Amino acid sequence: MRAFLTLWRKELAAYFLSPIAYVMMMFFLVVMGFSFWLLVSVLIQGSMSASIMNELFGSIFFWIAMLIVVPVLTMRLLAEENRAGTIETLMTAPVSDAEVVLAKYAGALVFFVLMWLPTVVYALVLRRFSPLVAPMDFGPMLGGYLGATLVGALYIAIGLFCSALTKNQIVAAIICFALINVAFISGFLAYVGRDETVRNLGAYVSSVEHMRDLARGVVDSRAVVFHLSGAVFMLFATVKVVESRKWK
Amino acid sequence: MIKVEHLTKRFAGCVAVDDASFTVERGEIVGLLGPNGAGKTTTMRILTCFFPASAGRVTIAGLDIFTESLEVRRRIGYMPENVPLYPEMRVDEYLRFRARLKGVPGRRVNRRVAEVKELCGLEDVGLRIIGQLSKGYRQRTGLAEALVHDPELLILDEPTIGLDPNQIRQVRGLIRELAQRHTILLSSHILPEVEMTCGRVLILKAGRIVASDTPGNLHGRLQGLATVVVEMRGPAGEMEARLKGLVGVGHVRGESAGGDWMRYTLECARDRDPRPEVFTAAASAGWTIRELRSEAGSLEDVFVSLTRGEGDGE
Repeated sequence: MRAFLTLWRKELAAYFLSPIAYVMMMFFLVVMGFSFWLLVSVLIQGSMSASIMNELFGSIFFWIAMLIVVPVLTMRLLAEENRAGTIETLMTAPVSDAEVVLAKYAGALVFFVLMWLPTVVYALVLRRFSPLVAPMDFGPMLGGYLGATLVGALYIAIGLFCSALTKNQIVAAIICFALINVAFISGFLAYVGRDETVRNLGAYVSSVEHMRDLARGVVDSRAVVFHLSGAVFMLFATVKVVESRKWK
Repeated sequence: MIKVEHLTKRFAGCVAVDDASFTVERGEIVGLLGPNGAGKTTTMRILTCFFPASAGRVTIAGLDIFTESLEVRRRIGYMPENVPLYPEMRVDEYLRFRARLKGVPGRRVNRRVAEVKELCGLEDVGLRIIGQLSKGYRQRTGLAEALVHDPELLILDEPTIGLDPNQIRQVRGLIRELAQRHTILLSSHILPEVEMTCGRVLILKAGRIVASDTPGNLHGRLQGLATVVVEMRGPAGEMEARLKGLVGVGHVRGESAGGDWMRYTLECARDRDPRPEVFTAAASAGWTIRELRSEAGSLEDVFVSLTRGEGDGE
């Protein structure tokens, strides 16, 4: 446990030591700013729909941010250790492979959550300046944040897996971008599937659909189970990739 | 301290370590010597539990490296080849991180870091970013890192590679100092290095251990052999044939020594000095000699004669 905490702290600190994390954080906030602008422009037209949070958590901007930010945040995690050879000092320290993988995952996930933190300001702004009596319901807001964290948990696990595969950060980012795009797009099978089963499957794996529910304040266990089980599976695969040096 | 029995490691399509057995006693400094690709790094990676062996058994301090891997790793300080470090961290930060990771108790971390920094001469660079340090300081940071949890066994892969002669001397001194408290296994393909620091040498060739002895005894093996070097001018083929024909001369190696001069290296029996015959032969044929000397066998010759492969046909 102590080794895990030590590694986790180092991983989290590593984000704040590299410029790329700040660049990504800024990119993320600019893109989410567009989302907020969309939300405000809908509110100005007097809309009182329950799915108003969808403008923030379901917009095209939200997904652009997710699909670009996650590969960049995760590409370095193991690829850089592989390239620099520090994987050797790391794995010959008294820590298990699973501890290393989980610590890196936890570090990335916490950074991801921290990245979302400034957006809490949106809620405060809306509450303070909205002319309506009670425009802001915190349920959908919390649902939206839960959804963002769930999607982040799955995508970061995919990113970590890709990072374990290679020595090259760019290659890791590209594979990760491709894989999370596949995960993202396969959700659209819900609309284009030819038979019932495929459409149901599409709806189950559709992060977009899940986010739509969550941003209305509906916490469906299927969304939680799908993202978490996906993340666990990818982490398991990552541990196996890291262990694979022992099979060669 | 280390007991290796019939260690074998196969990678796809090649055998990196082939049935190697050796032991290292507590307090020894043992050098693992061999040409590039002989299996030194692979052996070290197996000992440090980076990957397991294909066959064979290794125990370190009585613990099996496969079944009690974490416990073994706690007792080993390992510095891999080229000293991988995190360039974005500061020296102090890195050493503290590694100390905690290796299980140094929280309240002792700062003291241990201060101790290894003093030992490795890093007091002045604690706040510097590793990526901006010179190669020599990075090497010392790596060594400090390997020492930070006060391991019983130090495994150093090519500890002086890429350093300038002064730094090599410093690192060598440091290793000798460490030997008082730690058992050390180091690898090198540089001979004087091993000759000066190690109490015992294991020579590896193509994954096999071909010799295991003290540098002194390895010299002893050469007592039967001596080398004579002669530089002459004349018809190359004729000279070589004539030299080979001399009594007591074994292997003859010829190379150009600039212009039409040729340098021949003669291996011959120690009790027979062929130099007078070489002179007489040259004089009678009218060849000019500009150098004629005898060389005592060095560890290098043992190394060359033991590791000379079929491939490099010298």
